Amino acid sequence: MNLKDYIESGIIESYVMGLASESERAEFEQLCTQHPELVAARRKFEEGLEEYASKQAMPPPPEVKVKILEVIGNTGSRTTASPNPPKIVNMENSKSPARSSGLLRFVAAASVVLLLGMAWLYYQTSQQNKDLTQENDRLKVSYDTTKNILDRIVQEQKQVISDPNTTVVNMVGTKVAPKSSANIYWDSASTNVYLVVKNMPKLPNDQQYQLWALIDGKPKDLGVFDATDNKVILKMKNTQKAQAFAITIEKHGGSSSPTLEKMQSLGKTLQTQ
Amino acid sequence: MGIPTTYTEQELVLALKERNNQAFGFLYDNYAGALYSIIKQIITDNNELASDVLQEVFINIWRKIETYDQTKGRLFTWMLNIARNASIDMLRSKSYQNSQKNQELPDNVYKGVANQTTQQNVDNIGLKKVLEKLKPEHRVLVELAYFKGFTHEEIAEMMAIPLGTVKTRIRNALLQLREYLK
Repeated sequence: MNLKDYIESGIIESYVMGLASESERAEFEQLCTQHPELVAARRKFEEGLEEYASKQAMPPPPEVKVKILEVIGNTGSRTTASPNPPKIVNMENSKSPARSSGLLRFVAAASVVLLLGMAWLYYQTSQQNKDLTQENDRLKVSYDTTKNILDRIVQEQKQVISDPNTTVVNMVGTKVAPKSSANIYWDSASTNVYLVVKNMPKLPNDQQYQLWALIDGKPKDLGVFDATDNKVILKMKNTQKAQAFAITIEKHGGSSSPTLEKMQSLGKTLQTQ
Repeated sequence: MGIPTTYTEQELVLALKERNNQAFGFLYDNYAGALYSIIKQIITDNNELASDVLQEVFINIWRKIETYDQTKGRLFTWMLNIARNASIDMLRSKSYQNSQKNQELPDNVYKGVANQTTQQNVDNIGLKKVLEKLKPEHRVLVELAYFKGFTHEEIAEMMAIPLGTVKTRIRNALLQLREYLK
């Protein structure tokens, strides 16, 4: 065979471009091992082809490289190449990136839920806090008012008790009601009369206790009261004079003259007649 | 490219066989464009599938690098043939066929190709540009053989010309191609 004719037959181009038949390929490869000039001619065509193809290069989409490196990175260290390399479809179905992005999505979703939950909880708590603060303010106002009233009462009582003009009359029980007892604080200067129930039996609804001042042997009405609570200071009607005080049980609303047989307690003042 | 290292072909092949990732990056950066171009010349109308093929080609290069035999040709020649074969496989695959609205049966390929070669002259790229220099009867044969992947026998039958004539015309066309690439 004339080598020059063989080179010029187009077999080199046919072989390099993958258009030669099996037998042509085998023959060409065989001849290449014997004829360096055939290899040189082949190399020359290959270089021309490569140079031309490089000039005609078209930039592929950038994501292709990323995908390839991802696959290479996952399998790169394996030295035994798989006999059936996975198709692109396998790559796209590859589970690991999907799983990690799935996990990411889950974490992101969970974070949002958690955030919403915390926001709601915060809202609830702050709302509750606001309600409690308002309630507290209301109670404080109420307490302050009550305390003021109480302070005033205590102050009044102290004044009454400590006032040198005040006469304290210890009312003791009579035979009808031996356990009944009360104190009268009588300010002779201001003529105010205060009564503190110490122990008086509870009365039926249609009856009330009535306080009397005995002046020169005559009773004077000083008002009615219910002995519902002990140790409560009650302001009664004023009187300028009194040699004694008496408490009787009368019909509800009081009587014009005392029912003496029902006199519960009696106390004498030091006032002289 | 951003990779300071450059390789001679010898070094590159050695590094690839040692599974060197940096060498593979260099390979991709230097050859992906040329291979993508040849893929696009075969899969002319579907960029997505062309990208898929490029992906498959580089993964196959990575996995099959041990089988590359330097005595049989340059690395680029080896890669070019992988790219061409993968593209033609894609061309014949169901997914590609399904993507085509007007499927052409092999019997009609000649007509289709003839129409394409006259219609798409302006768009011709890469090696197809070189084919423009060829006589039409040569161009069609190279088109069918190289870009459509038909065997010489198939082409002879398809075009009703003797097998010997097909071979001679293709060889002549390739020789003209060589002159152009010199």
